[in-house]
Amino acid sequence: MVAPLYTTESGLLFHAGKILVLTVGLPARGKTHISRALERYLRWTGVKTQVVSMGDYRRKTLGGAQKLPPDYFALGAKSDETEKLRKSVAEGCEQLIWDFFDSGGQVVIYDANNGTRAAREALAAKFDKKGIHIIFLESWCDKQEIIERNIRSVKISSPDYKGWDPDKAVKDYYGRIADRERAYQPVEELTWPSIRILNVGEKILLNVRRRPPPSPLVLTPLKKIQGYLQSRIVFFLMNIHNRFRTIWFARVSSLAAEPHASNPDKHAQQSGQSLIEHSYKADSDLSPAGWEYGEKLKDVVLKRRLKVLQERGIDPEQRKLVIWTSTRRRAHHTAWPFLSSPLPDNGDKESEENQETPDGTPLKTDTPLKPTELLKNPILGTVARDAPVNTPRILPVPDSIAPEGLTLNSGKSTPGHQSKHSKSKSLVPDQIKVVEKTQMLEINPGIWDGLTPDQAKKYYPEDWERFTKDPYTYRVPRAESYHDLSVRLEPILIELERETEDLLIIGHASVIRCLLAYLIGLPASEIPAIEIARGDLLEIVPASYGVHSRAFHFWDGPGRKGDGSGQNGGRDQNNFYENYAEDTKGKRISFTDGATFENGFASQLHHLGGVV
Amino acid sequence: MANPEGSPVIPAIKITENLTRVAGVLQDMQDAGELQPMSPGIPPAAFVAGGPMLKRFDESTITSRKGSQAATPPMSVKGIGGKVAKPDYSDNKIVLAMVGLPARGKSYLSNKLQIYLSWLEYDVKVDFAFQSTLAPRTSRSHTFSRLKGFQCRAITAHESKTTGSPGTESREKLAQDSLEMLIQWLKEGGNVGIHGAPPENFCSDYQTHSDYLDNLDATNSTHARRAWIEQRVKQEKGLDIIFLESVCDDPAVIAANVALKVSSGDPDYKDMSPEDAKRDFLRRIHEYERVYETITEDHLSYLRIVNVGSNVTVSNIHGYLASRIAFYLMNLHLKPRSIYLSRHGESQFNVEGKIGGDSLLSPRGMQYADALPALITDNIGDAPLTVWTSTLRRTIQTGSKLPYPKLTWKSLDELDAGVCDGMTYEEIEQAYPDDFANRDDDKFNYRYRGGESYRDVVLRLEPVIMELERQENIFIIGHQAIIRCLYAYFHNLPQADLPYIKIPLHTVLKLTPKAYGCDEERFPLPIGAVDTHRPKPKAPQPVTVQPKTARQYFTPEEAAKITGALKKE
Repeated sequence: MVAPLYTTESGLLFHAGKILVLTVGLPARGKTHISRALERYLRWTGVKTQVVSMGDYRRKTLGGAQKLPPDYFALGAKSDETEKLRKSVAEGCEQLIWDFFDSGGQVVIYDANNGTRAAREALAAKFDKKGIHIIFLESWCDKQEIIERNIRSVKISSPDYKGWDPDKAVKDYYGRIADRERAYQPVEELTWPSIRILNVGEKILLNVRRRPPPSPLVLTPLKKIQGYLQSRIVFFLMNIHNRFRTIWFARVSSLAAEPHASNPDKHAQQSGQSLIEHSYKADSDLSPAGWEYGEKLKDVVLKRRLKVLQERGIDPEQRKLVIWTSTRRRAHHTAWPFLSSPLPDNGDKESEENQETPDGTPLKTDTPLKPTELLKNPILGTVARDAPVNTPRILPVPDSIAPEGLTLNSGKSTPGHQSKHSKSKSLVPDQIKVVEKTQMLEINPGIWDGLTPDQAKKYYPEDWERFTKDPYTYRVPRAESYHDLSVRLEPILIELERETEDLLIIGHASVIRCLLAYLIGLPASEIPAIEIARGDLLEIVPASYGVHSRAFHFWDGPGRKGDGSGQNGGRDQNNFYENYAEDTKGKRISFTDGATFENGFASQLHHLGGVV
Repeated sequence: MANPEGSPVIPAIKITENLTRVAGVLQDMQDAGELQPMSPGIPPAAFVAGGPMLKRFDESTITSRKGSQAATPPMSVKGIGGKVAKPDYSDNKIVLAMVGLPARGKSYLSNKLQIYLSWLEYDVKVDFAFQSTLAPRTSRSHTFSRLKGFQCRAITAHESKTTGSPGTESREKLAQDSLEMLIQWLKEGGNVGIHGAPPENFCSDYQTHSDYLDNLDATNSTHARRAWIEQRVKQEKGLDIIFLESVCDDPAVIAANVALKVSSGDPDYKDMSPEDAKRDFLRRIHEYERVYETITEDHLSYLRIVNVGSNVTVSNIHGYLASRIAFYLMNLHLKPRSIYLSRHGESQFNVEGKIGGDSLLSPRGMQYADALPALITDNIGDAPLTVWTSTLRRTIQTGSKLPYPKLTWKSLDELDAGVCDGMTYEEIEQAYPDDFANRDDDKFNYRYRGGESYRDVVLRLEPVIMELERQENIFIIGHQAIIRCLYAYFHNLPQADLPYIKIPLHTVLKLTPKAYGCDEERFPLPIGAVDTHRPKPKAPQPVTVQPKTARQYFTPEEAAKITGALKKE
């Protein structure tokens, strides 16, 4: 499924050359959004991908629209100076494309209008001559409301219209694109492989075969490379949607069974356990503390979820909660309390207050809880750009939730609903579904199963060195690399995009790292260094552009962090891939450490090409 | 075997460097008092089924759930593995209605889809009238195209008894009934129902038997028919309707399809010369073309495939399963090509009877690796070929002499035997007789502790299948379980048989996909090897396949049997 099922030495797909995706479409048709989503997806799969945005480049080099000559966006004859400016922008962008290809990049998505057939034909021919494969990616709309919404939510908030009156800005913008609309020629020619997307995903047309215009040229056979990327892009685009939902991540409780207390041979037992209980192969059960972890998790998720839905004015009874776990016993046992325990009653005032402090969940008091560790403030801001609100899919909304569903923009809710569900129980069990997925197993440590980092270093010095140099791609004998893991998780990722209900992923640290890196848009090489503390609930709300994320701390039992509490420090000590991040201090990206994550976030923004 | 304190000896290991290292680690742990000594003969690994540790571990965890909050605690884990349940696909319910003229490859597409989806464990059913009353309910996937001839005949016979001649009214009824049955089946737990109901009066002027047969073959090709289907399916909550239209405007593709149809043993053309048959068939197609209405209803969910994938239109397709279907169909092609499958050469572990591991080839295995290039080059000539291997050393070594581009896939690695990795079957059987019997009972669903089941392997191979469908000549050097799974996909074999397919060592299998199946050739090399096939107890016959690439029609005898059954009702 995934693009780089295997990579060659050069880091390119074995079967692919370099690919240039040319976006085609009028302004405000969601080209940028689609380009960015694709870039994120392809990058995650390991393909070196870069969006080159003409708009960004123009703003960076020439400044906002006001600084441009008035005929810059107009049609027809332009002054020499304007022509020169336009040419310099185009050339600058093309240079960026070449720079990226030359530095080992594989896919460039050129985010520009390319609205006339002649213009895009010339551009395609220019790159084709140098052996670059071309795909046209057209986004077009025949529904005015989509365009209008797009303009209002994205374009007038762009730097070009800083400080403008919204209505005026919209009017100005329409003026700016009016000429282009008249001159626009949709991709009806079949000369190049193309993907055409109508109304952000309502309809997708695909032309796979390249049919050069009748000419002395030899007939070009079907190009497999584009066909592959195309089908992959289409598959991806078919699966993204923008219904409001929340995704939570929590680590599996790894507190495996402890030795039998009554066993006299205590020492031998314990040391034996320290080897076995976290072994990849052991597939052990939870300890009592592990079960308590599960209870706490249930409590905090249900409360948090209720709150989120209420804020959005969505009736919790209309929504399901889907829980994904791996097939490991300790993973789906962590989800067990969701299905078996009595539901907390969130109707009364007291628990309303409790929601503000999910940490102080009054479940059990025999585990050490620090009352001072209250709910941390949201650690992250929004990972967002000046972006379209629409994503490439508007889901049909069932009538039953239509009044309050899809309220991406309005936080309003019907008062009747509020009072109704504040009295009702938070969830009924049949609204919760637990799904075990084999692809979500933790990373396989291969021959290092059962070894501590010190032992691995001691007995496999060469492997250790190569692993620490490139922990993302290096594969220890019989183990999985993080890259292998990403490939394995790719179907899960598509399902994650697809899922419209609230989702809780109770995962192993390695799996969470990969999925999180995709959602947030971190480069693949940083995946092994993302620190995920046990006892934190990570909340991800997909927004129009990237995600909003927060972390809640809800549990402080043994083994919360790899800080040496308890004999094993609570780590998956013998699959130290699982806590590689915790073992490599200084390089970490942590969700409980606001500052370091900010950095990661900032660098991501930098990747996106520099906003504002 | 558990030696008290002072017994220090871990068996001397000089097999490979890695083992030495592991032994070192183990020694380390043992010195620190962290490890129970192991019995001789069991490969040194931190945690295997043969060691005393697993059993002790299980014993120690039995009471671990004390103090838990869960109302009904799940059973504690014990032993070396267990059966796994089928994944839950209950949310996916789709009616897929085929649209298209005859000879447009509809049955090819639906055939491929059915194989692919049922291989992925979706329940797929292709409706033709009376299917559910005739086919046993228990069979998981119901073949479609093969049954066509037979179904129609049965219907004709049935109707001629009741109404005299097949009229529009009864055809209408037939279409309705079959859709109703399909919906009912989906409601009872099916996932994908492929609906190719007879169209309306496409050839009301055709009253002959064979015309009627073909009338059934053309499908859902008018606006009115599609509106009716859509309206009916929408009444059911949770069901989605998708139209799949296959269009060909490339005369070469149509001609190939027609030739296939005429030559594939269609009983209608039994006594005709091929030329006459072709002419007759083309005449009928022409008639259909006049009344054919392509999908222009923009509100419908549909998928239009032009010339088997060169152009694709995807309209209003939203579900995960639906998009997966679209993705699969986009990757199909009809170019002639072959897929070569082989296991790695005999490995050292094979010789020792051990499973799993990452051993190197035995001397005989090396001979096989040396002999492969000549065999493959002779067979394929100058055509391009790509070799795929797993990441394990024995497959890489086997392919090392081949003069073709090579790629390694993690997904092609052998089924992970978890705690049993590196043991012999006898050792496992001795140590865990109950578990092992359990595995024989349902091998497909049995998952080794810390390892995989065949079901897991099928899931992990899905990307490989997708890539294989897209590629041309490929030579896969894999492992026993992996080749079994791939082989079962190409021959559409049932899950229960899959783990018992006999794939001998030192043999190259050549599969050539055709419209309705795969041709198969075997090239055994005269290099001796151990037999690693472990037959199912009480079922001495290994699974053998009679590859069938011709479209199959039921014989008159079979049809008579069915009509007899119908009469009784």
